Amino acid sequence: MRLPRLYAKKRGHRRTGSREWGSVGDGLFHGTLLLAGLFFGGLLVSGVAAPEWRINNDFVGTRCTILAKGLARTTLEDPPGAVSTHWRPCVRVRYSVDGVRRESWSSGSSSDNSTDRAMALESLSRWQLGSECPCWYDPAAPGMVVLERGYSWWLWLLALLLPGALVLIGGTGLVRGLRAWGKSEEHRAASPGLSELLDPLAQPALEAPDHPAVPLWDDLVNSPGTILRYRLPIESPESWTLVGFGLFALLWNAVVVVLAIGAGLDLLGGTIDWWLFALLVPFLGVGIAGIALFIRRLVFATAIGPTQLEISDHPLLPGRHYDVLLTQGGSGSFRTLEIALELEEQATFRQGTDTRTEQRVVWRQRVAGCDGVCPSPNSRFETQARVAIPADAMHSFTSAHNAVRWRLVVRGTPERWPKFSRMFPVVVLPVGAEAASAPSRLVAGREESR
Amino acid sequence: MSEPQDRPATTPRIELHFDQPHRQHQPRDVLAVRYRIEGCDGEAVRALEHSVLWYTEGKGEEDLGVHFFQRITDRTAMPPAVTTGAFTTPLPQSPLSYEGFIVKVRWCVRVRIFFASGRDFVSEHVFALGRIPPARNPTTEN
Repeated sequence: MRLPRLYAKKRGHRRTGSREWGSVGDGLFHGTLLLAGLFFGGLLVSGVAAPEWRINNDFVGTRCTILAKGLARTTLEDPPGAVSTHWRPCVRVRYSVDGVRRESWSSGSSSDNSTDRAMALESLSRWQLGSECPCWYDPAAPGMVVLERGYSWWLWLLALLLPGALVLIGGTGLVRGLRAWGKSEEHRAASPGLSELLDPLAQPALEAPDHPAVPLWDDLVNSPGTILRYRLPIESPESWTLVGFGLFALLWNAVVVVLAIGAGLDLLGGTIDWWLFALLVPFLGVGIAGIALFIRRLVFATAIGPTQLEISDHPLLPGRHYDVLLTQGGSGSFRTLEIALELEEQATFRQGTDTRTEQRVVWRQRVAGCDGVCPSPNSRFETQARVAIPADAMHSFTSAHNAVRWRLVVRGTPERWPKFSRMFPVVVLPVGAEAASAPSRLVAGREESR
Repeated sequence: MSEPQDRPATTPRIELHFDQPHRQHQPRDVLAVRYRIEGCDGEAVRALEHSVLWYTEGKGEEDLGVHFFQRITDRTAMPPAVTTGAFTTPLPQSPLSYEGFIVKVRWCVRVRIFFASGRDFVSEHVFALGRIPPARNPTTEN
């Protein structure tokens, strides 16, 4: 019996972690999560849920007379060095069990437990000395009596949610590890089904029918064009920048408002918290700058006007030509407006604990360009061009961490604004593939393996 | 050709032949391979796996797609009883082999031997699907 090696060789000269030891570590991690979930679940069930269930189902009901009442004080050192005091209402009652009179102290429900003595006293005022009220005692230990029943739903939720999540994560991780144990990577990759269910983060991208690893183009052909067959959806980096600036301005200024309300209340109360004011001034400055940047981006996005691109057919095939129609709205004029066809590679990789994505344009071809474009407020600017897909072009490719993407890019240089670019993704099929007019179904998995 | 994962006293050798010259295949072609295993006479074989798959190389994490997979556990069809084998599979339309800058797609045939001792040995044989030229410098082509 050999022990697995700590390191194994991958490709080239890189040394990588051993898969066997990785599986052992993964199993230990998920096993610990599972055990922790079971342990805490057991504690919560036996310490909270089961006693409460017994009170509501096993305890015998009768009537009792209230003889005395008081507060039970519990002092805890929590956290170390600090002392916290809890008050709990207690009532001494007299009741009969099978004809035998008994007296016992009954504690209120756990929700009556309070760090505020006045609040605990208020809870105690519900019971009047000498009055009669219903009570429930434990038939196994008749000295145990309660005056109230019911369920603490948040405790049950806690008992189910936290240990349940640990059990779920640990259990699925263990099952996934056990299923993969002793299997080659080809065997694991060729065994879809439960493994995909257990590892949803590693799902492959949606694939086009009969074209493994080619992205689906459903959402690129669902909008008809006004002149050509399809209007391509836009993927504008400026839009995401605008959303980013908007979110930042919103969240930052929400914090500023909270701080300002606190400072204002202090001021109305006649006190001035200088630390709060000192914090508020730079926060306010950043908040105003955030709003100004957002408004500037918003004006930039709306001033340039909408860009639309229509295409005569889709998906695209290598060696074919397609008509494209560029329309530019708005009232601003442009020094240049250009359409280009680009091929971009994208790789996602882990660097330490971070996940990074790198993009690189590896091929670019100018399709058309116009100088001195002046769209009028009443009619949009239009220009038609012909785009050729190289006969030996790589097709669009997508997998979990890698992609090769084709796109048409419109770049403009407005007279009074910074340069902008708007992207229109397209899908190029492999050489020789028959283009389907529209995909009929989604294929999420890989091809069937034998 | 063969990439042993371990170096025990006896290292198997797998000699694999493609039916097409230069290991160049086109989409929808039928891939046919023959192989011969040598050098595992002294060790019992538990299972044998044939697979045809693509994987990515480059800057990103490795992705892998298995197109064809076959596991043989019948002792009468494995070494030392039988030391040769063959299998065929129609190739898919995609993904085509690609030599990009940060993304590369490669196709290969793998024959993996699982020994009774627990170790395994894999032999990987790369072939090309399609004829996509390598990516060139990203300069504007007018």
